Amino acid sequence: MSYDAPIKELGETYLLPEGTTAHQVTETIARVTENKAPRGWWLLFLMSLTGLGAMGGALTYLFVQGVGVWGNNAPVYWAWDITNFVWWIGIGHAGTLISAILFLFRQKWRTSINRFAEAMTVFAVLCAALFPAIHTGRPWFDYYLFPLPNQMDMWPNFKSPLMWDVFAVNTYLLISVIFWYMGLIPDFATLRDRSKSLFRKRAYGFFALGWRGAHRHWQHYERAYLILAGISTPLVLSVHSVVSFDFATSVVPGWHTTIFPPYFVAGAVFSGFALVTTLMLICRSVFKMQNVVTVKHLDLMNKFMLGTALLVGYAYAMELFIAWYSSNPYEQWVFLHNRLGWGILDSDGNWGPLWWAYYTMVFCNVVVPQIFWFKRARTSVPIMFIASILINIGMWFERFVIIVTSTYQDFLPSAWGMFHPTLIDILTYLGTFGLFFTLFLLFVRWLPMIAIAEVKGTLQGAHPDLHAVEALDEPGAATAPVPAE
Amino acid sequence: MTRRKQYELNQGKGPSMWRSLEDKNTDPESLKKLAEEEQPGGFVRDLVAPASLVTRRSLLKGSSIAALAAGLQGCLRRPEDIIYPYSKSPENLIPGIANHFATVTARGRDALGVVVTSHNGRPTKVEGNTLSRASLGATDVRAQAYVWDLYDPDRSKSPARRQGNALADATEEEFGSFLQELLKTHGADKGAGLRILAPISNSPSFRAMRAKVLTKFPKARFHTYSAVNDDNAREGARIALDGAATVPIYDHFKSAVTLSLGSDFLGNEQGAVAAARRFAATRALSSPDAPVNRLYVAESNFTVTGSMADHRMRSSQTDIEWYARMLVIALAARGLDDLKPIAAALVKNKDEGAAAAGLDTKWLEAVATDLANHRGQSIVLAGAAQPPRVHALVNAINAALGNFGRTTSFGPDTDRDDPASAKSIADLAKDAEKVSSLIIIGGNPVYDAPADVKFADLLARDGLTSVHLSTHRNETTELCAWHAPLAHELEAWGDQVALDGAVSIQQPLIAPLYGGRSEIEFLAALAGEETTRGHEIVREAHGARIQKDTKALLGMGLSTKELNGDALWRRGLHTGILFTPQAGKPSVVTDAVINALLKNKVREEPRAGTVEVSFEPDPALWDGQHANNLWALELPRPMTKLVWDNAAIMSPATRDAFGLKNGQMVRLSKGDARIEVPVWPIPGHADNCITLTLGWGRTAAGRYGNGKGFDVNPLRMLDGMDFTGDVKLEPLTETYKLVQTQTHDRMEGRPIAIDATLDEYKKEPDFASYRSVDPVSTPPLWKQQDYSDGYKWGMTIDLASCTGCNACVVACQAENTIPVVGKIEVERGREMHWLRIDRYFVGEDEGDPQVAVQPVTCQQCEEAPCENVCPVNATVHSPEGLNDMSYNRCVGTRYCANNCPYKVRRFNYLDYHGHLDDKFAWYGDFPESRKLQFNPNVTVRMRGVMEKCTYCVQRIQEVKIVANREDRKVRDGEIKTACQQACPSAAITFGDLNDPNSRVAKLSGIDRQYKLLAEIGTRPRTTYLARIRNPNPELRKKGS
Repeated sequence: MSYDAPIKELGETYLLPEGTTAHQVTETIARVTENKAPRGWWLLFLMSLTGLGAMGGALTYLFVQGVGVWGNNAPVYWAWDITNFVWWIGIGHAGTLISAILFLFRQKWRTSINRFAEAMTVFAVLCAALFPAIHTGRPWFDYYLFPLPNQMDMWPNFKSPLMWDVFAVNTYLLISVIFWYMGLIPDFATLRDRSKSLFRKRAYGFFALGWRGAHRHWQHYERAYLILAGISTPLVLSVHSVVSFDFATSVVPGWHTTIFPPYFVAGAVFSGFALVTTLMLICRSVFKMQNVVTVKHLDLMNKFMLGTALLVGYAYAMELFIAWYSSNPYEQWVFLHNRLGWGILDSDGNWGPLWWAYYTMVFCNVVVPQIFWFKRARTSVPIMFIASILINIGMWFERFVIIVTSTYQDFLPSAWGMFHPTLIDILTYLGTFGLFFTLFLLFVRWLPMIAIAEVKGTLQGAHPDLHAVEALDEPGAATAPVPAE
Repeated sequence: MTRRKQYELNQGKGPSMWRSLEDKNTDPESLKKLAEEEQPGGFVRDLVAPASLVTRRSLLKGSSIAALAAGLQGCLRRPEDIIYPYSKSPENLIPGIANHFATVTARGRDALGVVVTSHNGRPTKVEGNTLSRASLGATDVRAQAYVWDLYDPDRSKSPARRQGNALADATEEEFGSFLQELLKTHGADKGAGLRILAPISNSPSFRAMRAKVLTKFPKARFHTYSAVNDDNAREGARIALDGAATVPIYDHFKSAVTLSLGSDFLGNEQGAVAAARRFAATRALSSPDAPVNRLYVAESNFTVTGSMADHRMRSSQTDIEWYARMLVIALAARGLDDLKPIAAALVKNKDEGAAAAGLDTKWLEAVATDLANHRGQSIVLAGAAQPPRVHALVNAINAALGNFGRTTSFGPDTDRDDPASAKSIADLAKDAEKVSSLIIIGGNPVYDAPADVKFADLLARDGLTSVHLSTHRNETTELCAWHAPLAHELEAWGDQVALDGAVSIQQPLIAPLYGGRSEIEFLAALAGEETTRGHEIVREAHGARIQKDTKALLGMGLSTKELNGDALWRRGLHTGILFTPQAGKPSVVTDAVINALLKNKVREEPRAGTVEVSFEPDPALWDGQHANNLWALELPRPMTKLVWDNAAIMSPATRDAFGLKNGQMVRLSKGDARIEVPVWPIPGHADNCITLTLGWGRTAAGRYGNGKGFDVNPLRMLDGMDFTGDVKLEPLTETYKLVQTQTHDRMEGRPIAIDATLDEYKKEPDFASYRSVDPVSTPPLWKQQDYSDGYKWGMTIDLASCTGCNACVVACQAENTIPVVGKIEVERGREMHWLRIDRYFVGEDEGDPQVAVQPVTCQQCEEAPCENVCPVNATVHSPEGLNDMSYNRCVGTRYCANNCPYKVRRFNYLDYHGHLDDKFAWYGDFPESRKLQFNPNVTVRMRGVMEKCTYCVQRIQEVKIVANREDRKVRDGEIKTACQQACPSAAITFGDLNDPNSRVAKLSGIDRQYKLLAEIGTRPRTTYLARIRNPNPELRKKGS
């Protein structure tokens, strides 16, 4: 952990209020796992369990009957299933970005949210991974997708982007879990040491892997963390790029677009930050952590969202431009008729029936974030809460628009169709929220939801030469990295 | 007939083989029970009803000598005649190798020769018979679908008798003794009060038996009723041709100009299969200089014939007659002397003035000029719905144009004394008082008789003994006192004569599944004949002629060695043609035609607020006889693309005039008769006219057909069996969900189904490849596969020939065991047809568009987009360039289907081979009998698996194996895909593209070829040949 003192001349302040002690941090965070759960937690947990139960029911029905219980059809062979997959996996990206890339860029403000975001990543990737697994016609043969040597001499097709997906998602899940767990080790030790019951002691002790806080531990830990951050960093870019290849390498107009990889990554980070904000705001108020996750953190996150929203907006505009510029009638139809809705293209003057999905997407993803140009909006909890939810809705619609409005009217008008979701579609989607929040609530209840050790590293008192630094005339003279504890 | 007993385990002799001590020491009864538990329903019992099975032994034992001689080996369920034990296994019976038998299926008074494929005794697939002039090797939709009817799980399985308000199963013996009783009664009164009602039959044996019954019961009467018939044409011929009840047979191949006056001669009319082949032959141009015919159509509904027209005139059914009358005047003015007396009479009647209102005379003048310029090479046809006088007039026109003997010929004059169906059933109703016993053989008059006959009331009369023989217990059966099952055409011996007089033998391919008897067998029993076996009756009916012919041939010097007694009969069975056609040579009586025409003096203007309603048979359900046939129910109707329902078809303008929405219910009423149907618009339909299709809305069709669609028969009355004016239309508030397989009707300017006029073609012969961009400039991503070695399978589809009749769609379904999914699933867009026919409306005028049809199936792309994206290698390329599906590997990610630009892949979203339930309940319970139809060479796909057209890879393999064994290459034309085989217009060609002399290689190189969506770089193996229209330059000049 490095230490950067705020540059006072620039108006920088400490992330946490001055005078916050390491004990206060430990106390604030660890007591959540030790005290009784607040009523709000129980309420949310019951709701989540209900959602999870609904998903169980929906999946049982799905497995017994077949994928036909969803609204997927011909020509819309993928619909909510893959929309949800891409959406969830996109959400995960914020976690990796915060924990790995921001780590490498020495963004100290990440410390208050990274644990949280990493947990979100893991759970979101789990939710995402569920969809490719259950959306197949014969899920009991899903193992055919893995290169397992078998007596049938079958081998997967490495030309298929779906195959790349399998690797990308699995790698991502694995690295995310390891990275997350790595960061948890010192905090597990803290919890272990604070434990009053034998069971807690044993349980946390098991996961703490014998951490004693020795210098050698810290040295290995920091090195490993850095390496994992290095491994994770390309994943932020690669996973969603690979996911976008599912579409970009196909021939379907509206999918077959070279802009997809960066566009998807930007969208992923965008939606991930939005969900982190949403969840953060809830937890912050439920567990009273306004002092650890400050408005300053939120402000920075909102700036991030604004930036990615501009990237995404650029991609939207560029797609339309290319559709027009290419003179490709199929692509023009998809973008101008199916998405923008232009009825003049249709010989009967009918508007593309899903135009509203496109405009919902543009409104939520491009128009709404513009409010973050204003500092008042960036620092207002209600505004950012609503905005973050709208952005999440918008990002879901982005995937829906890409998947459904491209396929429902593609090359041959004779094969055109329409998509209508079924109850099972809705239940499955809501069910993943059940799964996500169940896991998430268990996480905030039993694990330190904020990286205790890392937050302490940003405290004013964390610097060993604190007084010397304050005495120095030239600012930044003592910014060399020093161990946090 | 040998009956199959339950599968017997050890027969009480003590087990000779056992699996456990418990097994060994149990008594046979409990063993049987054990087996039942292990395999509910027994091992084979569920295949068919338990009472009518052949034992496994008898199936190996039994064989018929006649069948052997004719190559009829291989029936698992053998016809009952002359069964001898095998002393050794019959030749050609190789398990796994299909046998093919020639037989025939009835089309009213016509007959369609077919060849039926039989797998180990199960008929599974119907194909055309190249030797039959009605088939020319192709079939129609109904021929493809009728094998399904054989295995219909809702067929009647036993006789039944009325008990209270319901039918209760009865035994054969009970029915037999009832029949004896009935015969005894009528034996005494010589048949007074005995009436027999049967549909139109084309069977000489039927006629012979009918005569015998009448000899035995002189006072009995026969009545004939078929809801769909050719009575108008026969009556017309009676008028024009001096009483000869003979229907003209047209040779479209010889025609340069054809005018159809409401005749759907490529679709629903008699002889459509042969007509399509001959017509298409003049359209499938190999170069711009090849001769091409021109088709004018005046019609009310938009039919497949109308879609092939170069000039189509929308006209009400009523006005078609006036077009015909004006045509006569116009033709007479162009020097057709024979028509002058008729024209003079019509002019005197002021036809011109009456007709001028609203009729397009310019169009007609152009047609008349064209016809007059092509004397002897033209055809004028009248639709089956047109009144007899129009048919009479058309006969006169064809005679005057010199078409008789050239493009128009006549078969023998049969059933000369048979009255028209409507008259016959009206007569029966008239003297209902005198009827004490009514025997109905087949048909379903309670459902389809004219509404004002009130047939149901007739059956309900006290003191009437009614008997209904039918394959299903239908609406009529439910009201009869007795019922016995009737054998399916594939189960019974019979004979049929085609319109041209060719006689074919109807061979059974399987013993009656449920012990049914045929019509002729029943009549023989009624007549008290010595033998009531179909086989002998049929042989006897033709015995004399066979003997005569044999003698004549012997006289010509053939040796007795070649011509022993059975030779002609056997040849007849083998080829499917027993006797060749005979031609009739009628001549026209002009006065009679004039008299008939003058009976209808004034053209009646339609009254405001009313519509003209015409009835036509459904292309698949026909008059309702196939109403439980799943293939027929889910077949997209050629123009509307509706499935699972019928509707009131009208023009968009009429719909708007009445302020209706698509699918809105309307009440159509005339007098007391009324029906309620939903509305469906079709551009190009005549305004103020409604077309209703028969055959729907059955209440006792079976589990699949009950309650599907709307019964329009209550509006069909004796004075308007074909069409009727002055029908009141009242909009109702509710709407009904109608489901189409294709919802977008326009090509949106894309080069998909490409067509051009003849002039454009001449100017630019390779216009098609211009319009669709060939991506020569798109280099492939990886090294190209070299296909120059071995076979390189390819297909061409000629859009100039294709009429969009759908025969290929059902053929594909039958061959490849493609499931039917039900209305709800079709609504979701999940129909499974591997081959679909796209129908696009072309042209600016939305009220009167042209139509382009295009069969689309897997294009077998060399650079298949589906293959790259499959993560599990379930769809891969064969060395011969086929895009193969490996069902076992497929996990069902559906990525391939997303990436297929043609959207020809089909996904089993649910267990479609399970029980079909409209309410989307759990799938399960698939009727065992239907499994007998499955093609054993094709995998039955489970849910969650992707499937698609394979170019009938099983057929390719079958032929390749034979060729390999004979150490030769596959010959061109040796492999025929199912769609190609069925196609009446021979639009589909399949073969080896590596063989420069193969038909497919030649066709795929002609100038109007193009590849669909080639610009994507898929390199399809299927080549389309663009359609050429041949409009009359004169009409175009005038902007018509």
